[in-house]
Amino acid sequence: MIATNPPAKVRVRRHLVKTLAVTASLALAVAACGGDTQETAEGGGSTTLTVTVWNLAKTPEFNALFQAFEKANPGVKIQPVDILADDYPEKVTTMLAGGDKTDVITQKNVTDYSRYSSRGQLLDITDMVKSMDTSKLAGLDAFNVNDSYYALPYRQDFWLLYYNKGLFEKAGIKLDGVMTWDDYAKHAAALTQGDGNKKVYGTYHHTWRSVIQAISAAQTGGDQLGGDYGFFADQYNMALNLQKNGHALDFGTATAQQADYRTMFETGATAMMPMGTWYISGILEAKEKGESQVDWGLAPMPQRPGSSEVVTFGSPTAFAVNKRSENQELAKKFVQFAAGKEGAEAITKVGVVPALQDPAITEAYFSLKGMPTDELSKKAFEPDKVVLEMPVSDKTSDVDTILNEEHQLIMVGDKTVQQGIKSMNDRVKSEVLN
Amino acid sequence: MAHVMTQPAQTAPSEPRAPRRRRPWRNTLIGWSFILPNFLGFALFTLVPVLAAFALAFMDWDSYSTPEWVGLDNFERLWGDENFHVALRNTIYYAVGHIPLTMIAALALAMALNRKLRGVEFFRTAAFFPYVTSLVAVAVVWNMLFNPTAGPVNLFLETIGISDPPRWTASTDWAMPAVIITSVWRDMGYYMVLFLAGLQTIPREYYEAAKVDGANAWHRFWSITLPSLRPTTFFVLVMLTIQSFKVLDLIVVMTDGGPGRSTLVLAQLVYREGIREGQFGYSSAIALVLFLIVFLVTVIQFRINERRSS
Amino acid sequence: MTTLTAPPATTAGPAPRRVLRKTLAYVALIAATVLVVLPLGWMVSSSLKRNNQVFTIPIEWIPREFRWSNYVEIWQQIPMATYLGNSTFLAVTITFLQVLTGSFAAYGFAKVRFPGRDGLFLAYIATIAVPWQAYMVPQYIMMQQVDLINTHLSIILLQAFGAFGVFLMRQYYLSIPDELCEAARIDGLSEYGIYRRIMLPLSKPALASLALLTFVNTWNDYMGPFIYLTSNELWTVQLGLRSFVGQYQADYAMIMTGAVLSVLPVMVIFLFGQRYFIQGIATSGLKG
Repeated sequence: MIATNPPAKVRVRRHLVKTLAVTASLALAVAACGGDTQETAEGGGSTTLTVTVWNLAKTPEFNALFQAFEKANPGVKIQPVDILADDYPEKVTTMLAGGDKTDVITQKNVTDYSRYSSRGQLLDITDMVKSMDTSKLAGLDAFNVNDSYYALPYRQDFWLLYYNKGLFEKAGIKLDGVMTWDDYAKHAAALTQGDGNKKVYGTYHHTWRSVIQAISAAQTGGDQLGGDYGFFADQYNMALNLQKNGHALDFGTATAQQADYRTMFETGATAMMPMGTWYISGILEAKEKGESQVDWGLAPMPQRPGSSEVVTFGSPTAFAVNKRSENQELAKKFVQFAAGKEGAEAITKVGVVPALQDPAITEAYFSLKGMPTDELSKKAFEPDKVVLEMPVSDKTSDVDTILNEEHQLIMVGDKTVQQGIKSMNDRVKSEVLN
Repeated sequence: MAHVMTQPAQTAPSEPRAPRRRRPWRNTLIGWSFILPNFLGFALFTLVPVLAAFALAFMDWDSYSTPEWVGLDNFERLWGDENFHVALRNTIYYAVGHIPLTMIAALALAMALNRKLRGVEFFRTAAFFPYVTSLVAVAVVWNMLFNPTAGPVNLFLETIGISDPPRWTASTDWAMPAVIITSVWRDMGYYMVLFLAGLQTIPREYYEAAKVDGANAWHRFWSITLPSLRPTTFFVLVMLTIQSFKVLDLIVVMTDGGPGRSTLVLAQLVYREGIREGQFGYSSAIALVLFLIVFLVTVIQFRINERRSS
Repeated sequence: MTTLTAPPATTAGPAPRRVLRKTLAYVALIAATVLVVLPLGWMVSSSLKRNNQVFTIPIEWIPREFRWSNYVEIWQQIPMATYLGNSTFLAVTITFLQVLTGSFAAYGFAKVRFPGRDGLFLAYIATIAVPWQAYMVPQYIMMQQVDLINTHLSIILLQAFGAFGVFLMRQYYLSIPDELCEAARIDGLSEYGIYRRIMLPLSKPALASLALLTFVNTWNDYMGPFIYLTSNELWTVQLGLRSFVGQYQADYAMIMTGAVLSVLPVMVIFLFGQRYFIQGIATSGLKG
């Protein structure tokens, strides 16, 4: 097996040469492939606009907007940069860190917006905003940073109550106007029935902290960044009672089993559900595909007793222009288009709630196939006041984390409402506000 | 004929008996020529960014503007940050639970399945299932098993007399044990593969000779299997340690650090402070501390291993 | 070496005890198998449901209606074939490079003595200890500078040269006696020759297990491809699956359908690749 070999020196040299040759060719291969640049998300000429989006195929509003814009501006082509929704902020942050030149950066929520704008990664579009009529643009305030604007909202989602008309009829409950939280709890008790896997819950509270905290802040005027959270108490007590009496699915199970709010509502496992308006397009699609048989309706969010207005909370979605974009004029044009009438019309057709509020838009929205046509649903669509889900500041993220952690502890019963609120106060004051 | 039965060599090879004495520089050249292909790729694409990250630990950077030197500020902040201490405790808790349990489970599996049984190939594949199953599926099913009121685990505990079974992922005290159990279940197949490969190096003759000498199964395990497996065991131990301290994915999907902060781990904090909050200097500092702890533990393991094998 | 015919070494008790022990063993084995297969079972069951039936409370193990159509739909809803192709390409390439360069480097670390060797090795291992999130951004910026973003090459370069493979092979090589290498050196074989003709053939189980684990890890990798691959045509299966997760909701039934499809190649490779790292009869090469 072992043959005779030439003397050592020659052998070593030969092998060294071989190794060097292999390494060199490897290096050449790397260089060659590296030079073959794939087209990244860079606007080619001045007529191609790149826009970051999430889940392009499953989020119809993007294509609707892009098609409308291309139609209104012949010769312009929009090239979406499709990023998975789950980790959208991570990728956008990384891309921008690397000096990415994508023209339009979609702002998934206001918290991300405050980060990008504070780092100076977005173009200042205050002039453009000031020159527009923005009186009907809901949620614009959220994008005001020291009187400057770096994004324009095109979509505004707010929270209302979805309910199962069939289950309500069976329980003999008629909804004719705005209810209070006490009514809500009573209805939930009456609507709960069955058990095991046939159980129908009166209501379903999804596990997000906003379901309890944001509505409470909006309706009491409390400040979620303030460090004093006594105003959460009523809402927590109501929710915990519902949980205790079995009228709402308990938080521990919901988190552990990754309860899906769509499943709960569409299979008739819950009679009521506070949720955001984005779900409307979801349930419309489910009904049309035959995946759900629920006869659904909309009602305004329950209010605190003695309240004369319908107050709820919401969150806008916006477009912003990348400061490093090489196509800034066209990008600004797109942002303005999306926030304007034509943009609103385009997305209304696919069941998305635009930021632009206009009776004509509302009419168009309710004429979509499958929408409930009763008066209460229409009233639900026009709340008197929509408060921003979470105020924007550089402390938002840290406070959000603390509030979320304590929220979990209260809802699984690890702390009482009093203890939990005290924890929130102490932690926010010492860790964030110090 | 002399029967050459030597213990497999460990880290200290014997002196060469070749007539030629190798000059040190030639050995260096040869050694490096072997290492070079891998090292080039490693140095360029991993080592350099890692060193950059370590440098960032002493700076303030939001990923966009120019980094600013702040010296030890990040470490001072870290020291006073309760989140850091909670995460450190949790990470150590996790590691201390995960490492021995996984090693024992993986070794037991490897020993049990290293034989010609009917269908053993299927059982080995089954043992590997947990590692390749989607994390979402793992989290959902195990959370269901651990369901405080209706889950099989607690139902079983109640039948054997434990009246107030733990509330697992719905409680701050028992969330981490639940995660540890799930992660042991998940990783044992992975490390079983490594142990199986290691078991192949042990010649059958050793066992047969020992049987002839009257050694029972336990004795054979202790005096033949374990010592022969030492390089593999060491490898598994080091990799397990490193991966336990770095744990992230399973926790995020199962409990996301909750309830509260009871399962918050260091890698999660690094991710949160860096990618989410944009405090890359601070997150690098946390990563550097995590690295130093793991490095220390690994060095200790190396030393012990060297001492044992000489 | 003589083999005495000795009575069987297994403890032979009276017949009922043996039967009891065997039964217990099988029961234990079956219970363990159930535990191990359960989540996979949930995946399969979910893949046959409608999306709004996946997360019912409590879990419905048997779907109300068996939607085999999911397995057809998934190829239409996302370019699954492209994704599978990309995943395969990446996994095979990276595995090949890892095994090759890793075992090559491991020989240097295990059998060639040169100054600084062990220190360098320790540094190698140490870098595994740093969570990727910590150096993800610097790494990205570096790759951006050389225009490698949005290429498969970026993933290959980042993952083919890991320390894991080096570590695994080194440990395995350490268990191959030095006397073997010395004998070969005396006979005049070069180090490279020893590597090729002695170490490689003897380390088949380790090579096979390294190949398998690298393949699985690359196949299941999400974050790397997510950050570096922008164009849809370059995406891997893991990215394709996540494209069913929207902003507020997700199509879990489809995700599980894709997940089941994604697990199949891995399982097949494991089932048939086992024979490469479980040898029937181990040899030490030192007979007589």
